[in-house]
Amino acid sequence: MNQPGSSNTYGGGGGGFMPQPRQEMEYICADCGAKNEIKSREPIRCRECGHRIMYKKRTKRMVQFEAR
Amino acid sequence: MSNPTLINGFDTRRHVGVHAEQVSHVSSTDYPGHYPGEDNSWDLDAFKKRLNLKVQRLSNRSVAFDLVGVDASIANAFRRILIAEVPTVTVERVYVWDNTSVVVDEVLAQRIGLIPLNVDPSFMDMKESPSDQATDRNTLVFRLRVACTRNKNAPKGSTNPNELYINSDVLSSHLEWVPQGEQMTVMASNPPAPTNPNIVLAKLRPGQEIDMELHAIKGVGKDHAKFCPVATASYRLLPKIVLNPQKPVPPHLAEKFQKCFSPGVIRVDPRTKAITVDEEKARNESMSREVYRHPEFAGCVQLARVRDHFLFNIESEGFYPPERLLPEAIAVMRGKIANIRKVAEALLHDSDGPGDVEMTDT
Amino acid sequence: MTESMPKIKIMKGATPDLSAATYQIFDESHTIGNALRWMLMKNPKVEFCGYSVPHPSENLIQLRIQMYDELSSLTALLDALGNLDSLCETVDDAYRTSLASGDYERWAEKS
Repeated sequence: MNQPGSSNTYGGGGGGFMPQPRQEMEYICADCGAKNEIKSREPIRCRECGHRIMYKKRTKRMVQFEAR
Repeated sequence: MSNPTLINGFDTRRHVGVHAEQVSHVSSTDYPGHYPGEDNSWDLDAFKKRLNLKVQRLSNRSVAFDLVGVDASIANAFRRILIAEVPTVTVERVYVWDNTSVVVDEVLAQRIGLIPLNVDPSFMDMKESPSDQATDRNTLVFRLRVACTRNKNAPKGSTNPNELYINSDVLSSHLEWVPQGEQMTVMASNPPAPTNPNIVLAKLRPGQEIDMELHAIKGVGKDHAKFCPVATASYRLLPKIVLNPQKPVPPHLAEKFQKCFSPGVIRVDPRTKAITVDEEKARNESMSREVYRHPEFAGCVQLARVRDHFLFNIESEGFYPPERLLPEAIAVMRGKIANIRKVAEALLHDSDGPGDVEMTDT
Repeated sequence: MTESMPKIKIMKGATPDLSAATYQIFDESHTIGNALRWMLMKNPKVEFCGYSVPHPSENLIQLRIQMYDELSSLTALLDALGNLDSLCETVDDAYRTSLASGDYERWAEKS
């Protein structure tokens, strides 16, 4: 039903690890909602409140649906 | 099951019998050859004389009319076309860039598809197939971009989300029409928008946002119910209460008899306690068959419906004003007839020529 | 759906003079089927007329017409289509007349 839209340049889908240079990822704290930049091998911990659960941000890629 | 005995005044040609546990005389019999010595073949002038179409009630949302003198197959064709084949325009494709609301993309897309739009379908072409190229003749584009933020000026101590936040509700009024090609000139007088601006599509909290593009196309109800131009389109047959002249209701039971029917349907003479039927109000009878439960009324009355008297009720939802719906349905019907006729005529010319008629399996 | 699909097919088994034939009409349903059947049955030269929707997932109807006096069922079909069209026109006119008369109750409904 839904397919990824225009094949975007980076961040290949499906969870396959891409050997491209990893840019900083922003995560959302599950407790206070603050934005956190966490680099790889850094402890997962919110800078604002110390909470240790983070949400990944939603993709900004276009996704297509049928309104049915 | 034996056929129940019928009382005088019940006309098997015109009436459908309604009995305690069954109905009788359902099918129409007005065909040539059914009654010896009668013609009954199609006669347009006779039909014009017998046809009686009267609008009863009209509001901004619905219309009720009586259609008298047609066969059920015709009345049913109009009803079916109203529901399934009168075209409307609604959102069909949704392109999501961002949706961080709690409503998932699929569900939100489906909800958006159900929003009725105020677009005249005659301005648009039908896409022949879903893979057809989108053009300014067959597709309307809307943009839905809403982000929720905190309201700095919220009153102290308020718990109302509408005061605390800006854009806490995503409404159908947030749809923004993006004119394509010549649409700006064609549709400028009546810019496309939802007919109801207050439909809640999703709720947002600060930090959440929705960003999508919506493509609306023309379609028909048989493809998907979202294209249906009516909320309901239905008919029922006019109720008919036939009193037995041979067996009048006993005067001391007149009030009890009256209570077996819907209010106002049965009149009781205050002096003689004689029973009469108010033919004007007979249409309000619920046909509950309550009279049949009382043995003292056995044989006094026969409930029936008039076979060719259709009470239509149509509720509009979407672009069409209610009074325009039946003419649209008739236009669709005539379009279908013209289409079949053209092909049948071609078939006739083929069979006139030297070649044989095309005959195929299945 | 393919575009090359004919709208009407005469099925195998029809008499050469078409006095008895079954027509397969594509992309049609009970809406046209029942109305057309009724109008054909109003023709005294029609011995038998019936229609069916053979399968709900096949979008077609089959219309069977048998004629008296070896008349052509195709002509009868065309007549019925013409009559059905004039019926629709009559109903349309009657509706517009009634609507224009303004002789009905008007009321405001909350939307």
